[in-house]
Amino acid sequence: MDVGEGPSRAQHAPSITREDIIKAGHTLLIKIPSGDIRSIKLEKDATVHLGKFGSFHGNELVGQPFGLSYEIVDKKLKVLPPRPMQEVEETEATNELINDEQAVQPLRPDEIETLKKSGLHASEIIQKQIEQHATFALKTEYSKEKYKKRKEMKYSKHFTVIEPTLFNVCQYWFNKDQNRLRDIRPDSLAQIVNLANIRPGGRYIAVDDASGVVVSAILDRMGGEGRLVTICDIDSPPAYPVMVQMNFRKEAVAPIMVSLNWAAADEDYTPIIASSEPPAGKFKSDGQRTRLNKRKIASDALLQTREELFNGEFEGYATSPRIEAVF
Amino acid sequence: MWSTAREIAAGDVVIAWMTRDLIQPLVITQGGELNSKYGYYRHDELIGIPYGSKVRSRNGKGFIHLLRPTPELWTLALPHRTQILYLADIAYVTAWLDIRPGSKVIEAGTGSGSFSHSVARTVGPRGHLWSYEFHETRAAKAREEFTRHGMDDIVTLAHRNVCKDGFTVEDTVDAVFLDLPAPWDAIEHAKKALRKDRATRICCFSPCMEQVLRTVSTLNDAGFTGTSSFTGPLISRPLRPALTERLVTDITMYETLLRPHMVEAPPPLEKVGSVSARLQVADARREEKRLRQIANARLGIERRAAKRKADEDADEEGQEGKRARTGGETGGDELVSPEDQARDEAEALAEIHPTPVPAASSTPAQVVHSAASLEEETAAEPRKITLSKAFPDVRGHTSYLTFAVLLPVAASGKPEGSALAATEAQVCYSVTDPHGMR
Repeated sequence: MDVGEGPSRAQHAPSITREDIIKAGHTLLIKIPSGDIRSIKLEKDATVHLGKFGSFHGNELVGQPFGLSYEIVDKKLKVLPPRPMQEVEETEATNELINDEQAVQPLRPDEIETLKKSGLHASEIIQKQIEQHATFALKTEYSKEKYKKRKEMKYSKHFTVIEPTLFNVCQYWFNKDQNRLRDIRPDSLAQIVNLANIRPGGRYIAVDDASGVVVSAILDRMGGEGRLVTICDIDSPPAYPVMVQMNFRKEAVAPIMVSLNWAAADEDYTPIIASSEPPAGKFKSDGQRTRLNKRKIASDALLQTREELFNGEFEGYATSPRIEAVF
Repeated sequence: MWSTAREIAAGDVVIAWMTRDLIQPLVITQGGELNSKYGYYRHDELIGIPYGSKVRSRNGKGFIHLLRPTPELWTLALPHRTQILYLADIAYVTAWLDIRPGSKVIEAGTGSGSFSHSVARTVGPRGHLWSYEFHETRAAKAREEFTRHGMDDIVTLAHRNVCKDGFTVEDTVDAVFLDLPAPWDAIEHAKKALRKDRATRICCFSPCMEQVLRTVSTLNDAGFTGTSSFTGPLISRPLRPALTERLVTDITMYETLLRPHMVEAPPPLEKVGSVSARLQVADARREEKRLRQIANARLGIERRAAKRKADEDADEEGQEGKRARTGGETGGDELVSPEDQARDEAEALAEIHPTPVPAASSTPAQVVHSAASLEEETAAEPRKITLSKAFPDVRGHTSYLTFAVLLPVAASGKPEGSALAATEAQVCYSVTDPHGMR
């Protein structure tokens, strides 16, 4: 019988592809009380504005683990503990005696504004509204919960930082704009990446016209090891906007991912490469030397990537293409 | 895990793909043989062949494909000792639990090792899987497979009843997957094994809703919360509020349905032109028949009148001779079938009224016209439609997946006076909040 390995109080190795804690420069997925999720870039020493929910110093979040909820108090943050689900006792209440004709809430909007300005906490405002409500006591327990929830959504000043897992980022994008993701849902994405046997150290080719969600999934599962060649249909390096919310570490991406366009990926085509030798035979200026050097590096990289692709030995091909992609 | 060489070598595990429904593992041995419905193969002849090759059998009876194993192929090929998880569930759970290279994962129970192989592949050499199986024989079989597949560095298998005795690591793992009859008994143990400095995740896989209810309740009591991301389809439970959005969303449950689909290309749809033509022809025929019946009726009357007269004349001459004479011709009147009668009468009608029925003349021309336009339309490429439909009688319920998150405490070590000191600041919203601070 094995006695399982595994130290108690293990020393946790930092995660390979993504940061474990919030850092300046991260693009965060912030969930606000209304239920919406906003993508917000955390700039160093800058203030984060959440519209009517308030604003706070961005540095308060630096060093925090992902997934927690906070309340904004004087531009600073208080951590909110997770709230467990409540069991609600059923009562005999019905709406038999509740009349909707008269107004039931005597507190006027301007009175509420005053209360807000006086620094009263959201829960206290809601409490006042409940006390003044003419028929609150008559409501069913479910209805009371629903009422409180609605008010919380209006007056609360808290938010949650959503952990940028592949699942969450894909879900965020899917809800925001399904079309740009070519309808790839988190469960579909999960199947793609499993079926393609994406694993650390593997070599893959990808064609991604779904804003980079497939590329992000592949990178996430490669763990900073292996090689990914992406082929795109535009001239300049592809954008892959989904990668922004993933907050990949540079070391997990730059060494392993390269990109080619369809023409450059064609073995029968020779890309047009401008010369990197000075026409006059010698460099006219330092500026020209630097420029030509840069050009040489870029064209060498291009040719090398082509060679790599043509040499083959890739083990997987994942694609979500706009065009008919057949090798 | 498995061979990464180009060619098959002795000792390799290979996936022999016969048909979509017949996929089996093969351990290549010197002198070994494979004899199946799809042919006879000597292992010695398979050695050196590139992975992925199609191989014809010696006796010409068929062919197979020899594939490099992947966890997905293994799931389809492995010998079942228990009900297993398939790709749809495995992929979803892996993604939800954020299992990736370097992850530390617990699985209970191991079962037939379907999920285990997928996790080992995903976490890689820098990650680890602790897998627990309480059935001794199954544990042994799984251990044997993990060793043969080169997984011993990544997977630690323990023969252990985790509900009674807990797990073997503490404050270590990122994710826990429980596929047990009574997962609620393992939840407190799971909490100990999970690391506390990051958000960690748990999934409980149960076929029955009653199990889900009890699991949710136990998770809630143990301090697990929702996804801290998105609301999944919430279950409505008796005695509990059917909540919609929450700041930190609730423990969520998903149901996976695995359904086969039939895919077919139906014949091209009939065009309006041809339907119309068909109806016009039917119209014409109906009119023709109606007019024929009228003519027959008229003819019938005339014939019967003539017959009556003939009978009367014959009666005067005497009965016997008449009967004999008329027997063959008109005596069989009642026995003549209606169709024959109609035909006779039609011919008679044609003699009397040689002009063709007007309605009938209009249709041939029209039909020809429709047929011509129909030909034109079919000359253009008909659009091919492919339909996919789930088999109606297959629900495909595999299980209910209940997911929850264990949130970390906030990062402490903040400067004095910071509002983020973890001991401070608990805010109660609900007027009746029995749980208070945590």
